[in-house]
Amino acid sequence: MQRLVMKLLVLALTMTLGLSSLQAKPVNVPVVYYKLPNGLKVVISEDHIAPVVTVGVYYNVGFRVEPKGRTGFAHLFEHMMFQGSANVKKFEHAKYVEANGGSTNGHTDFDYTNYYETLPSNRLEMALWLEADRMRSLDISEENLKNQQNVVSEEVRVNVLNQPYQLFEWIELWKNAFTNWNNSHNGYGELDEINAATIEDVRSFFKTYYAPNNAVLTIVGDVDSAEVKKMIEKHFGTLTAQPAPPKADLTEPAQTKEKRVSQPDKLANLPALATGYHIPAQSSPDFPAMALLVQILQGDDSSRWYQRLVKEKELTLDLTGGLNYFGNEFDYTGPMIMTTRTTYKPGHTVDEVLKEMDAVTAELVAKGITDKELADAKVRYKSNFYSQLESSFGKAHLLSVLALFRDDPNQINSLLTPFENVTAAQVKAAAAKYLVASNRTVIERVPEAKSQSGQ
Amino acid sequence: MKLLLAAILLSISTLPIVAQQKTPPPPGPARPLNLPKFTEKKLANGLTVILAPLPNVPKVSAILTFTSATNGTDRTNHPGIAQIAAGLVNEGTDTRTSKQIKEELRSIGGTLGLGSDPDQTTMTATALSEFSSRLFELMSDVTQHASFPETELKLAQENTIQQIRAGRANPGFLVNERFQKAVFGDHPYGFVVPDEKSISTLTRDDLKSFVTKYYIPNAAHLIVVGDIEPDKTLAEIEKAFGSWKSGTVPADENPPLPVRDKRQIYFVNRPGSVQSAIYIGNVSIPRSHADYFAIRTADTIYGSSFYSRLTRNIRESKGYTYSPFSSSNTQAKTGSFLAGAFVRNEVTGPTLLEILYELDRMRVLPVSDEELNAAKEYSTGNFSVELASQLGLAGRINTIYTYHLNKSFIDDFRPKIEALTAADIQKAAAKYFDTYHAAIVIVGDWEKVKDQVTPFGDVTMYDAQGNVVK
Repeated sequence: MQRLVMKLLVLALTMTLGLSSLQAKPVNVPVVYYKLPNGLKVVISEDHIAPVVTVGVYYNVGFRVEPKGRTGFAHLFEHMMFQGSANVKKFEHAKYVEANGGSTNGHTDFDYTNYYETLPSNRLEMALWLEADRMRSLDISEENLKNQQNVVSEEVRVNVLNQPYQLFEWIELWKNAFTNWNNSHNGYGELDEINAATIEDVRSFFKTYYAPNNAVLTIVGDVDSAEVKKMIEKHFGTLTAQPAPPKADLTEPAQTKEKRVSQPDKLANLPALATGYHIPAQSSPDFPAMALLVQILQGDDSSRWYQRLVKEKELTLDLTGGLNYFGNEFDYTGPMIMTTRTTYKPGHTVDEVLKEMDAVTAELVAKGITDKELADAKVRYKSNFYSQLESSFGKAHLLSVLALFRDDPNQINSLLTPFENVTAAQVKAAAAKYLVASNRTVIERVPEAKSQSGQ
Repeated sequence: MKLLLAAILLSISTLPIVAQQKTPPPPGPARPLNLPKFTEKKLANGLTVILAPLPNVPKVSAILTFTSATNGTDRTNHPGIAQIAAGLVNEGTDTRTSKQIKEELRSIGGTLGLGSDPDQTTMTATALSEFSSRLFELMSDVTQHASFPETELKLAQENTIQQIRAGRANPGFLVNERFQKAVFGDHPYGFVVPDEKSISTLTRDDLKSFVTKYYIPNAAHLIVVGDIEPDKTLAEIEKAFGSWKSGTVPADENPPLPVRDKRQIYFVNRPGSVQSAIYIGNVSIPRSHADYFAIRTADTIYGSSFYSRLTRNIRESKGYTYSPFSSSNTQAKTGSFLAGAFVRNEVTGPTLLEILYELDRMRVLPVSDEELNAAKEYSTGNFSVELASQLGLAGRINTIYTYHLNKSFIDDFRPKIEALTAADIQKAAAKYFDTYHAAIVIVGDWEKVKDQVTPFGDVTMYDAQGNVVK
């Protein structure tokens, strides 16, 4: 993240289809999709509700594939993309965008890195020029690298090292739940490795991954598609393709027994717990049922785990988590775990909390879910999906990842269908298959002895 | 935008262009702004209803605001009662249990949450638009018929106490709490969270009588934005809220603010910190004040935009921090301006120096035309983006009603921003970026940073619980 706190889109999106309402207002996002000869995928979607446009550039590289010994490098590199290019001086990317009435940011995720601008739609071409300039000619200097190593180190301190719990439900859970380094390492980065990065690392990463044939350019908003195509040709048409990046091994052996870890926490006042269950791949027929199962167990305050832990047993203060720690069902490609995080009250134990979570699961496996619970979960799912489509950025995000990972952004108009078709029996079966102790990792954070004082 | 107009426009050609264009393309013709319109109606019981169609997705978003239920309301007898009430009204009504409320929300694809601040309690609710009448019915039920079940009250008391304890481990919570107390003192705006005793002694009757007295339609406004048909929506609202009984609007309370005669450091000691959390600021003005647009724009140039002076200095040039910022918080009765950053221990002193230097620079020298024009574009452009989302528009309309602004605020925004001069900005900075009377709040490890802090002023030391320590 360039600015503000890493977007912890913790409440995994959960989308669904209420049967009655689906027919009323089908999703209908106009999509123009094509590829330039240099391999750049282009998505254009007109939306004239407000005089704004979002430009998104999504690169097919996330922190899973950063080099060993360089944890946090993909994210550090994202910062370098704001440090200037042939015709744009250091940090002037932000200047141009803001002086034209917009805002800009970037985000590094498991399997992609994105850059985006939202601005008045008559300033579209300027944003395209900025993105093309840095895709073509990133300017990398020793001084700017050192500067951003300092900035990113402070980002890690503010969001991780100086915080109670230190994002353990991501960083520590992933370290323990996965065995393949690509999946398990700390994507925010260890400070010494962030600071060990060299200018050669930056150049080589840029050359390997930041090529038009490894990216998607998406434009959503109050624009004319035909005019946009001409602008894209002008600014991106002459970029040259690079050899396809090496394909990283993301395979993960099946977990066969439960992992339990206890960690002391110097800064926290209350104990906390996180669990992670490996979930089926997006291509698995079990996937849509798993997504609804997540919704039913922990999607909102009516969910089964929330009701049991927070309300009925009064063991915990909160319950957060979801199917994809950072995003949604569609914006990742590698193996994933469903995460759950809860802060529990002093005087209780991790075993008490787990026992209740397991009891809820066992009940669901034994008796299944009601038809109303399923129908309501689908309504919730659909409503959350619409919220994603509300902003030009939200739409651009979905279109981009569908183009990036599936080569088919038109799927945006039929994304809900598999979730709509899920049956109660499938949800029950998914619980029985995936929510077993041998498939999970549990981490507890124990406040180090200090005054457990309230006053 | 002289810089941009000077751009050389390359012809659109199918011939290969070898080099990337060297200068930014100029803007295209301006697009119609399509500023949203809203209509206002008053129900017989005094409830003001504001409707604004925005059919970007088949959803509806609503904000119901109670302007007599503020964090300061009844704070002498029951500190924190507005916050606890806001957290509890959707945990049970005369006809619905907490769980039934959550289940109803799930079945309409809805959300409903409340929060209180120094000026208001707001209920923010959304749903699929096909279920709008059920959403209004639920909002009305929790507004009028909250039952505060004993079990829910007890749980909320216990959890709120624990959550505040958990929050006291967080430097962001601590720096904000100490800052509000430093600048607003005993004024209701200085109230952040109640103490544990106040929370645990609240009774069901206290809460019942609080909402009966202060959640009243004649001191409330309901804003509905989204995929709506105004006539039908208004009929649904009348059906849901028509029987809500009006009450007596309490007298407004606005005691004097503390007068700060010098710069003062408030240090919250948090041993083990690897960063210092820094806020520097003071009281400013209410939203309705004539200087609002000038201070807002000074804030943009100083530290609230990404390409701001503060970010360029202590992030992009010096690498002290990830997240420098400034913030102009103007509310109904007064406001505050503050600058801040979270920085590694070793650069605590240098960061204080630069934040103060950049504040003084705003006071002493006029901003450049380039900076001013960029700030104007930034404000007006991002205003359009804000108004394009249902909750963005609803929130903006809410400020018009809660802060008693001109009803034409949305239409006036652009011309007011565009009329600002560099002299206006400097004048506002001179008044409100006053480094000589600023509160400097730091949360960090005193032993590690004390030598860097003491040169900047007298220090009062606090622990994480808010107690003064010697």
